[in-house]
Amino acid sequence: MLNIENLKLSFGEKEVLKGVNLSVDKGDVVTFIGPSGTGKTTILKCINYLVEPHEGRMQMGSISVDFKKINKKETLKLRRNTAMVFQQFNLFKNKTVVENVMDAQIAVQKKSKKEAYNKSMELLDKVGLSDKEKDYPSKLSGGQQQRVSIARALAVEPDIILFDEPTSSLDPELVDEVLKVIESVAKTGVTILLVTHEMDFARKISNKVVFMEKGKVIEEGPPDQIFENSENERTKQFLKKFYSENKEVLEVR
Amino acid sequence: MIEAPSTIDIASLLLQVAHITLYILIISAVLGLLLGTSLTMITVKNIPVFKQLTTVLSSFTRSVPIIIQLFIVYYAMPPLLSNFGINMSNLSAITASIIALTLYHGGYLTEVLRAAYKAVDKGQHEAADSFGYTPIQKFFRIILPQVVPVALPGWGNALIHLIHDTSLVFALGVADIMGRAELIAAASYGMNQIQVFIIVAAIYIIFTFLSDGLVRLLERKTKKYKLDSGLNTGGA
Repeated sequence: MLNIENLKLSFGEKEVLKGVNLSVDKGDVVTFIGPSGTGKTTILKCINYLVEPHEGRMQMGSISVDFKKINKKETLKLRRNTAMVFQQFNLFKNKTVVENVMDAQIAVQKKSKKEAYNKSMELLDKVGLSDKEKDYPSKLSGGQQQRVSIARALAVEPDIILFDEPTSSLDPELVDEVLKVIESVAKTGVTILLVTHEMDFARKISNKVVFMEKGKVIEEGPPDQIFENSENERTKQFLKKFYSENKEVLEVR
Repeated sequence: MIEAPSTIDIASLLLQVAHITLYILIISAVLGLLLGTSLTMITVKNIPVFKQLTTVLSSFTRSVPIIIQLFIVYYAMPPLLSNFGINMSNLSAITASIIALTLYHGGYLTEVLRAAYKAVDKGQHEAADSFGYTPIQKFFRIILPQVVPVALPGWGNALIHLIHDTSLVFALGVADIMGRAELIAAASYGMNQIQVFIIVAAIYIIFTFLSDGLVRLLERKTKKYKLDSGLNTGGA
């Protein structure tokens, strides 16, 4: 349902994406792993055109675009068929928890207030925050904010949900509550693209793992292949380094 | 021997022309806000040529004393514009005052509003964009409500400056509160000057007090948004 061909982007001199190809089926949970600054987040933000790639084609459901000549209408279409969960949550600060979940339904999908409210409360219930409906985001913990943000993304019933390092700016003890919610979302069968540094979670949740480095896809495949039987030197090195560093941390503790 | 008018007489004489001051004040405040908003949009949207003009206007209005600006608009602008075939020879002193104060207030507000707009986190734009809000929806539903509380204190200050500066339009011959105060003082050869100007001061204190009250009220209304500085976003 999602096909990306030859996606290229540079910021000034620096080439961030050097021709990425990717195809995702409906219901896939695709995880992007790799060192920092290799363009994992950038791919996600290209899909909803928050950053503007210089070249490449993309086909999402019935929409197909050529990034060289994308217009405003196509941009809105892409954005209205996806939803993003941000590293920094980015809840609307001027709106209460329930209004955050309602707003896109009213503004973009033209639902009635009542309809949007009922749906929002149902989703807040799912993420365990219906008692916070009238609070402003600044009153919530990071984990709670991220759970609201997931409810906000689910509310528009997107074809694809883009998770951009959803747990990276959370205190360690708040990570689990968010991962649990993401896991339950994955089980509903919605298509998910996830960038994360939580390797064990990536392995558990996804049916496809994409290892990226320096703006290129180095290897992709089912989690067992990437984590256990990788043929690729770079992938092995990265995972080895990742796990040995984590082990050190545990030993120090 | 001239009978000096009583405090009450003076106050009522001054209040008879208060509507002129208020008229100039309110019109320039509204037009100035509209001008400041448009100039801010030009600046943040980076529209070429207009942006440079905005910079020139805002640095001019902020660096030239307001009395000079009033003179420029009233005395220098009509002959200047007549060279371009625009006839403004019957520009009234009140209109000239409104033009000058609008430019001044608008130029000042541009700085206030630009800073407030920049204070809105980039993530708020990204979030609204990611759901496919149109630029207009994003602005009115998400951005503007967050700009207002940040801009309010600066706007309140600008308003107080504007109130004070209306007291200078008498220099163009406008018979406003200050203009009449001069006349009353002159009629008694300056004997009751102090009395007259203290009353003028009291009237201006009331104006400022009212405008402060308005700003406070708006501040209270928008306080609930609790725009945090980012220091306490990590966790409660």
